[in-house]
Amino acid sequence: MEEERAAAAVASGVPPGAGGTEEASRGMAGATTMKVVAAVDASEESLRALSWALDHVVQQNPGASVVVVHAHRTEHFVYPVAAHGLAYAPPMAVDSMKKTQEENARRVVARALDVCAQRQVTAKAAVVEGDPKEAICQAVEEMHADLLVLGSRGLGMIKRALLGSVSDYLAHHASCPVLIVKPPKAHAKGTASST
Amino acid sequence: MAEEAGASAAPVGGDGKMTMVVGVDESEHSYYALQWTLLHFFSPGQVQLYRLVVVTAKPTAASAVGLAGPGAADVLPMVEADLKRSSLRVIGKAKELCAQVSDAVFEVVEGDARNVLCEAVERHHAEMLVVGNHGYGAIKRAVLGSVSDYCTHHAHCTVMIVKKPKHKH
Repeated sequence: MEEERAAAAVASGVPPGAGGTEEASRGMAGATTMKVVAAVDASEESLRALSWALDHVVQQNPGASVVVVHAHRTEHFVYPVAAHGLAYAPPMAVDSMKKTQEENARRVVARALDVCAQRQVTAKAAVVEGDPKEAICQAVEEMHADLLVLGSRGLGMIKRALLGSVSDYLAHHASCPVLIVKPPKAHAKGTASST
Repeated sequence: MAEEAGASAAPVGGDGKMTMVVGVDESEHSYYALQWTLLHFFSPGQVQLYRLVVVTAKPTAASAVGLAGPGAADVLPMVEADLKRSSLRVIGKAKELCAQVSDAVFEVVEGDARNVLCEAVERHHAEMLVVGNHGYGAIKRAVLGSVSDYCTHHAHCTVMIVKKPKHKH
């Protein structure tokens, strides 16, 4: 649409006053082509964060692309035997554990994509393996994300913690801007009036 | 009708917009954060979902100087004037950057940045707080304190931390 093209032209024409390095201008280029990466896990919190971001950020940037990322923690089924022996869990057990984990990952991703579809947003999904903190950090860099969306606390919910450890880590180490969505306050806040 | 119901449940601006508070200080990082925000949320061709409130914290002269001696009384007015000048400069530059935003609000609030920003969020019933970060490492954060860290933990709304991209390769 013409408006989008005009907006993009203005946006790319905006000179980054601060710094003006190549990296800064790449980060600034294309308001409407924002790449939003949302980290999701099995928690409701992360799905709520995704919804919030879709309603409050993606809606404003019609050209934005959304990728949901799930970090799939790989377990190594190894346990010590006797003084200096290591036994690997029997292949059958490993297989079934792996299958359950893959099932879970698929379910998480499916739910996240559902949330996106409900808002008429076509999103892509990525599953990364390993420690969630580092895996998501790396994924963000590789995808050249413009924004990383996180819930404030995930599965590792410690009641008194104000910010989960993964969100905290990513807030400091992610290479792109980070959006941390907090749970709504006790008195229900009205959501954006637009549908 | 939907707007009226929304307004009674959660105070939004008269025009039904949500509020976004952007914290700025003198650093390049925070101007970058402001520009990034303008680009993605207040671009001329976009639907403007938010009302923009730009806030800068002006430390009190006493906190900045920390003197308690005979000379303190003389120094404080100069420090105060200097701090005031620098806050006005920050807001001036912010106003320039935000020229295209029609209903932007600019505030200089006295106090520590941490509290000023969280309190501004409460006062404006903001949906989102945007801050840059100085890119401090863990030790510097522990010693100097991190405003973005504090806000991420304590603000009652969504927090967006906009970072200046690190120099890659």
